Amino acid sequence: MNIEINGKPISVSKDFEDATLLDFIRDFAGLKGTKFGCGMGLCGACTVHIDDVAARSCQVLVEEVGDQSVTTIEGLAMADPAGSFHPVQQAWIEESVPQCGYCQPGQIMTAAAFLNRNPNPSNKEIKQAMNGNLCRCGTYERIRKAVARAAREGKINARN
Amino acid sequence: MLETDAISMSRRRFLKKSGWLAAGVTVVTALSYPLIRSAIPALPTRNDPLPEDGFAWVQALSDGHIRFFCPRMEMGQGSPLGLCQIVAEELNLSQSEIECVLPDTNQVPHFKMTVGSEGIAKYFEPVSFGAAQLREKLRSIAAKKAGLPREKVEDSLGGFLLPLGRQIGYGALVPSEPLVLFADDYPSSRKALPRYALLRRDKYQAIGQSWKHHELEAIVTGQTVYARDVSLPDMMFGQVLQPPTFGSLIKSVDVRAAEALAGVLEVVINKEKNFIGIVADSPLVLPEAIGAINVHWEISEELNQDQLDASLDVDEFRARDEFEHILASDGDIGAGKLRSQNAVAARYDTSFAAHAAIEPRSGLAWVRKNKVEIWCGSQDPFFVQQRVAKAIDRRVDDVIVHSHRMGGGFGGRIVCQASEEAAILSAATGRPVRVQWDRETEFQNNYFQPSFSHHINAGVTDEGTISHWQHDFVSSPILTGLVPPAIGWVLDKVMADEGTARGSLPQYQMTNRQVRYSDIRTPIPIGAWRGLGSAPNTFAIESMMDELASKSGIDPLKFRLQNLPSTSERLAAVLHRVAEISGWGRHSPKNTGYGIACSVYKNVTAVAIVAKVHIDHDASELQVNKIWCVQDSGLVINPDQVKNQIMGNIVWGCSMALKERITFEAGAVEQRNFHTYEILRHGESPEIIITLINPTNAQSTAVGEAAFAPVAPAIANAVFAATGKRVRRLPMNFDNVFSNSGS
Ligand code: FES
Ligand code: FES
Repeated sequence: MNIEINGKPISVSKDFEDATLLDFIRDFAGLKGTKFGCGMGLCGACTVHIDDVAARSCQVLVEEVGDQSVTTIEGLAMADPAGSFHPVQQAWIEESVPQCGYCQPGQIMTAAAFLNRNPNPSNKEIKQAMNGNLCRCGTYERIRKAVARAAREGKINARN
Repeated sequence: MLETDAISMSRRRFLKKSGWLAAGVTVVTALSYPLIRSAIPALPTRNDPLPEDGFAWVQALSDGHIRFFCPRMEMGQGSPLGLCQIVAEELNLSQSEIECVLPDTNQVPHFKMTVGSEGIAKYFEPVSFGAAQLREKLRSIAAKKAGLPREKVEDSLGGFLLPLGRQIGYGALVPSEPLVLFADDYPSSRKALPRYALLRRDKYQAIGQSWKHHELEAIVTGQTVYARDVSLPDMMFGQVLQPPTFGSLIKSVDVRAAEALAGVLEVVINKEKNFIGIVADSPLVLPEAIGAINVHWEISEELNQDQLDASLDVDEFRARDEFEHILASDGDIGAGKLRSQNAVAARYDTSFAAHAAIEPRSGLAWVRKNKVEIWCGSQDPFFVQQRVAKAIDRRVDDVIVHSHRMGGGFGGRIVCQASEEAAILSAATGRPVRVQWDRETEFQNNYFQPSFSHHINAGVTDEGTISHWQHDFVSSPILTGLVPPAIGWVLDKVMADEGTARGSLPQYQMTNRQVRYSDIRTPIPIGAWRGLGSAPNTFAIESMMDELASKSGIDPLKFRLQNLPSTSERLAAVLHRVAEISGWGRHSPKNTGYGIACSVYKNVTAVAIVAKVHIDHDASELQVNKIWCVQDSGLVINPDQVKNQIMGNIVWGCSMALKERITFEAGAVEQRNFHTYEILRHGESPEIIITLINPTNAQSTAVGEAAFAPVAPAIANAVFAATGKRVRRLPMNFDNVFSNSGS
């Protein structure tokens, strides 16, 4: 069995087939940017994209991924041919969002998928879309500003 | 590798010459009670830095960089960045010329645990001193090299300017090994050394700039290595069976089923230490292996919340008129009462709480014959070093702790239990072992913020001054919360816990006041949590101030201002300013209210908060829409970082006010994950407006915990303004505000 992560097929060893996608990404694929926070789908630290839709990798089994493609924070910028940062990452840098930073890959993945669907969100829509991602350090205000900035700078093209 | 050796060699030379080797290995503690000290196994690292400690933290490299061994751990508070700016100010550097390193425990002498919002306040001086001295040492080398007197060698970016416009970079002055400072580099007098970080306040080049954090790009691309992300080539995976209740002991255990599982390498049992752990070759095996252990526990603690509440109940203590510590006793309460026109007596309660950092702790240990290495994230790596040495019975000097950025600290990572567990498992198997706590383990096995119960009896004279203030409260010791119970019992006889009492003396003028408290140990493990006692104590004080104002018919802002002593100009200034930016005193629409509160964190950082709340009766919701904050924390090193910390504090304040509550049942924590221990979510977070007062001639003071304390009372006071209902118990929500028991 193979699954595709960040554009590359990775073969799944037998014992990882019924593991969570999060454990597979971190401990098998060795991509540590996707974080464990709660293991119960409550915090969003483990957010990745599965076929461009945000998903909580702690709640998905490897065998459920099938032939869909998985994107992690490490692969996000690759979607943007222009540079080393995805526009959402760029906005995060401009607004200096992170404190400890641990929740931020998940926040960015959620925001990128959201803006892909809704490139022109209202403040209220941003709040709703980001509600599932906890930030204990309390960076919510800057996250809102960064999402609004990424939308305003308009580099995100709605694909669907 | 070569480079590491070079560093540690310089360090050995440095230590020898300076004679600090001895000082470095002695843990200087605040406890001078000899008997107790020898009985305490290991203590957090508590000595404040001396100016000359800065000598060990800066080195010039031959590639032109300045290496800064940052003596503050990074958990998102950003003080390492601020300290880099101080280094840059002294050495005329741009940000890219500084290599900021979180040092291993063998690279620098002991430094104090990273706590108490002291990162800039206490480390400004030694960092500036060390960096300035390194600059002058480099200047001497440049002068010698050019055959010029020192005065002819002028400052320039990243180096010096010689006559005829010749530039010389620092790198050209450093042969190959890093250039370090020795004790004999100590200047004839500390005053003789020009200190740019202190002197050139009107032309700073690095201080006062909003530098972006050196790890920012790594964070947003997922490249930052937290403790949880470290791995070693032949690493094994460990997990320890955690006791089901506080203090339960292993009675008997059968591990045959666990041992028989494929992938399990070893089951490590140490009954004396109450320890059962699994080492496996895959992390996936661990949950099943732990589940397969058949163990009988001897349950010693079946304590529940009612019993805890009863043992920390201020009314009980008042009934017996029995408080251990008297913090203030001025004037004559009886006489004050006679002058009171409007008196209020009220009780305020706050809950037990957890840190709930999003990264659950993790440790990787590799125990070899002559070397023990630990990779972890802790606020006190030197304490981790001692505790690991103790756990596996090795010399402290054999243990090296490699520190990583933490995914949140908030006082909760003074220890890293996962590292100790990993060390025990690695010692037993000889393999590197990683132990990662899951969320449930993190909630159940760390220490907590204790609940507080307060009773305040106070009054206002007909001139609007405070006639009397009688405040009693009960909670648990926080600063010494982690010492073993037997020692704690002795300790409590000789000292009052200052952490519990933090922020309990009001800033207001009061001729007749009495403040008493008891710090009671319970079986619940207690330790530092953001701001220690300051938030619970400020909640009580600032709520009562609001009650007094409203009972006397005085505007709450005016009431505070008219009761501040003339020496409190900085607090008065932030109050005035927050009133201005929030439009204080305006008419508020129905079901909307504004509340104000203030405090001076650690008696140095003045903060004023205005909160706007809205009650949505259709949705049965109590919403905090907007918070305004004005803070005066002296000279601001990095305004953007300071504002980020303030935002964090405001979110914490909302979370404390609206959400957080740990309860205990049958000797265990009831909340094990974020569905039962709720912290503020994005959708509930307010809009935040911040103004910094930046007096460039005042010293930098505490930031990391400062703005937290007044937030919850500002919200409670806003709820009163909106509804006429007093919130005296936290957390609050729509239901408890509008039920009768809400007040
Ligand atoms: S770790 Fe997956 S949602 Fe928290
Ligand atoms: S930045 Fe620390 S949890 Fe979000």
